[in-house]
Amino acid sequence: MTMSGIMKSVGLASLLAAGALTATAADAADKKYKVFLSMSYVGNDWQAEAQNMVTAMAKANSDKVDLQIQVSGPVAQKQIQQINAMVQAGANAIIVYPISPTALNPAIKNACDHGVVVFAYDSSVTEPCAYNVVTDQTKLATLSAEWVAKAMNHKGNLIFVTGVPGTSVDTDRNKAAHAVFAKYPDIKIVAEPNGMWSQAVARKGLTEAMATRKWEDIQGVWGATACIQSWSLEIESGLKTLIPCGAEGTNGMRVMMLPKGAAEGAGGTYVPMGAPGVSLESHPGAGALALKLALDVLEGKKVDKLTTMPLDVVTNDNIKLCKEGSFEELKGGCNTFDPGLVPSGWFSVIYNPATPEVGFKAALVGQPD
Amino acid sequence: MSAVPSALRAPRVLQRMMKRNHGLLVAVATFVAVVLLLSLKLPNGFSYYDLTSTANSATALALAAIGETIVIIAGGLDLSAGAVISLANCLIAAHVTATPASMALWTFLGLSAGAAVGAFNGFLIVFLRLQPVIVTLATMFIVEGLTLLILEQPGGAVPPDYSAALTGDAIAGALPMSAVFLAAAIAIWFLMRATPFGTYLYAAGSDREAARAKGVPVRTVQFAVYVLAGVFYAAAGVFLTAQTGSGDPTVGPPMLLPIFVAVVLGGTSFAGGRGGCVGTVFGALTLMLIVNLLLVFNVPTYYASTVEGALLIAAVLSGSLGRGAPVWNHVGALRLKWAAWRDTGAPSAPRKATSPKATTARAVRDDDTLPAGGLARWVTRNAPTLRFVAPAYGALLLILVFTALLFGARTTPSTYFNSLLVLSSFMAVLALGQGAVVISGGLDLSMPAVITFAGILLTAWADASNSAALWAVPAVVVVGGLIGALNGLGIVLFGMFPLIMTLAMDGVIAGFSLVYSNGTPSGVAPPAIAWLMTGRLWGMTPVVFAFALFVAAATILVSHTAYGRRLKAVGASRTAAFFSGVPVDATLVRTYALSGGCSAIVGVMLVGFSGQAFNDMGEPYLLPAIAVVVIGGTLMTGGRGHFLGLLGGALLLTALTTVLTGLLLPVAMKSVIFGLVIVLAVLGLKERSA
Repeated sequence: MTMSGIMKSVGLASLLAAGALTATAADAADKKYKVFLSMSYVGNDWQAEAQNMVTAMAKANSDKVDLQIQVSGPVAQKQIQQINAMVQAGANAIIVYPISPTALNPAIKNACDHGVVVFAYDSSVTEPCAYNVVTDQTKLATLSAEWVAKAMNHKGNLIFVTGVPGTSVDTDRNKAAHAVFAKYPDIKIVAEPNGMWSQAVARKGLTEAMATRKWEDIQGVWGATACIQSWSLEIESGLKTLIPCGAEGTNGMRVMMLPKGAAEGAGGTYVPMGAPGVSLESHPGAGALALKLALDVLEGKKVDKLTTMPLDVVTNDNIKLCKEGSFEELKGGCNTFDPGLVPSGWFSVIYNPATPEVGFKAALVGQPD
Repeated sequence: MSAVPSALRAPRVLQRMMKRNHGLLVAVATFVAVVLLLSLKLPNGFSYYDLTSTANSATALALAAIGETIVIIAGGLDLSAGAVISLANCLIAAHVTATPASMALWTFLGLSAGAAVGAFNGFLIVFLRLQPVIVTLATMFIVEGLTLLILEQPGGAVPPDYSAALTGDAIAGALPMSAVFLAAAIAIWFLMRATPFGTYLYAAGSDREAARAKGVPVRTVQFAVYVLAGVFYAAAGVFLTAQTGSGDPTVGPPMLLPIFVAVVLGGTSFAGGRGGCVGTVFGALTLMLIVNLLLVFNVPTYYASTVEGALLIAAVLSGSLGRGAPVWNHVGALRLKWAAWRDTGAPSAPRKATSPKATTARAVRDDDTLPAGGLARWVTRNAPTLRFVAPAYGALLLILVFTALLFGARTTPSTYFNSLLVLSSFMAVLALGQGAVVISGGLDLSMPAVITFAGILLTAWADASNSAALWAVPAVVVVGGLIGALNGLGIVLFGMFPLIMTLAMDGVIAGFSLVYSNGTPSGVAPPAIAWLMTGRLWGMTPVVFAFALFVAAATILVSHTAYGRRLKAVGASRTAAFFSGVPVDATLVRTYALSGGCSAIVGVMLVGFSGQAFNDMGEPYLLPAIAVVVIGGTLMTGGRGHFLGLLGGALLLTALTTVLTGLLLPVAMKSVIFGLVIVLAVLGLKERSA
């Protein structure tokens, strides 16, 4: 593999040289909108899927749009610099996955002043000239926390897994969920391990929390990236009945929620076992929808400044395995994919009635339906 | 000298100036090269707009990097820079109102907060003689926690006047305010350098003992340096506040690594005593323009970090390939060897004397001056080692007692110690690699990417297959070792600083991981590896038994092998080691290979632990691994360390995070407590002389 890695990096020099040619070629084929995607970070499954979906949306509209994707790294100044450079490069629209809801405001304002249409997705930005395509995190946390509270019969000990501290998404979610659990005096939050929205960190945090507790004393688990890892730990500790959990959106969690024998497992705990859970996640298709809406704006259509992504609540009652995952099939209500097709950490939140271009293939390889 | 004709003198003066300002010249040349390259590609050339926007985005980074440069010139290192930026940012954004008095007051308080953090660092480092890395790492955690207590999420609003005053145009259409700030910062630097303080700064950084002997007030200078640096980080926070018009507790910490890159691109030497702040400003500007380069050349997202890493290596290399570069020594040595081989028909076999020498040394230690009793004798003989290994175990014992008092009733010792050992096993393996590198006098920042890459390769090559794992696990560890060896070669052959070589390598390998996995790692852990990390064997997780074997092997490797002795010799003094016949370069390359191999092993273990590989799985382990190494009594400047100390550090840190997770406290409070406990734990490691 190192060899192929080295080959790839050698190929990069020629790729840089080729970039010079394609840029001039693109100038010739005008009449297309020049749209840039500015990502702050690409190092996890969610971002990879979001990028794939945007790519698929651009391919579905290849007659109208010339899309260029760039990543700045998780440093606000670099994303500011990137947005400025995109404006300078003649962008018609810029789609942003913002590293911060506030720090990019001056750069976004500057882009708007230059007549560039700016869309932020997933996390919102507070600059009023920008359009936001977001998931309602308060609603997401409230719905999932209510489900977990009910599954615990509104009493018992709960483990509350938090995300990346200091971000709006984490703060909004935690506040909403705390508000729900506070309604039920018999529910006691006994530990708040930090999961950083990462399976590996969540596993570590849960192990630390359980070093001084017994799974037998726990009645519920809540938090992003909490479920696969808590159920796996319960199985390893020999617990007979799995504990209700919400609310990640990974295929691994959903496969575990499927009734036993519903699909062939892919090893380890990536197997249908009827685990009690509620699956909800920030929609990775927000970027794709943002691109579609940006084209609408460029074509003179009226678009709302705030678009909220659909929140499909998947529980053991409505969980359903997809065969192929085409948009039509997703529309019919399937929401989980065969363990043989995708890794367990892959997000199976794909369906959005507003984006028929985006199905399973879009999320996996960036091909439109 | 006086005999040299005056006509020849001028070029010599020029030559000397070039040599003295070599770092700065390279920094400027790199910047100019990047601007030229961009101008060629941009349809409108490099305009005033580009200049202002670049100056604006680079100013915060440049101000913070100036602070870090001063610390590094004085022979220190400061990991709290990023955290302080956010502290000042949030402090101001959360409180400032629209009156001029309020704006002035909160700007002053923001800068004072930076000075206070710097004073805290300086006090611990200079007066309590603790190592800068661990002090500033602990401060980083404390300050991040405090910042979250001030502002728990992005928000706050800054009056538009504040932003306009600091980030508008100084002369409309000709000069942005940010350029004025940068010029002012450079002016302060020049003024400072012209005073005795400036001379002391370089003297203290290049040779502390010599400086002290010459009457330089080394301690005062070093303390002042940390305070001054804190003010510069806070100034970066002030500018950032004006630029973004708000506060965000997460915006500062990720700037730490770019700050280091700006310092290195600016030509400042991490060895201390050389460099300057003008180069740093150009370094920060260059770093920002790399973003434009990536855009203009349309580099795909997954390649971005690889390209950035490669550019960083290229920029640093271009400055160090002059006549004095180590690589030419190697070429020369090879040529000599070749000549010798050609003349004698076989390579000579030099330096076979090391092993007998080692045995005689051991024999001498067994003398009669030691106490007769077994234990007393052992203690006396190992007193220096015990002194730096013991504090970690002392603190560990306290935390265990605390844990037992708090949670003893609701858990069983076997559950607790099993978790403690499983979680410590990752840290201990990383600590062997990082510890060896630190003992050799370096630092390995490529750990996160190597961990991740190893995990991704393993699940791709041995997806749920034990038979494939038989060859895939060794193969993955070899890949990690090779990446480490590349680090070592870069450091040995091109004289790159370990910090920058491994940081660039981290970027390169992180890109490989993304490209190889196409963003989504495939496959699941081989069942045997999953069993090792999560299964049951005689009531414990199987890895616990492997861990015991590992500890024994690692202790022998570090303390009882020729390699271990060479490692410490190289770390204590490369020159002395070389003249004692130690193969310095080979030892260094082996050490980095060991570190890469250890990272890869942790990648394998993490895959078993969480069932699959993730592109972000290595990231959380870098800073804890460095913390473990220092808490375990290893000297950051090299030459000293014992694996049992590292083990103590790993157990201590894991026990600490476990007890904090068990307590129902906000994340911010946990972060503050974590930092304070680290400071207390290392108080026992006070050095005899600063």
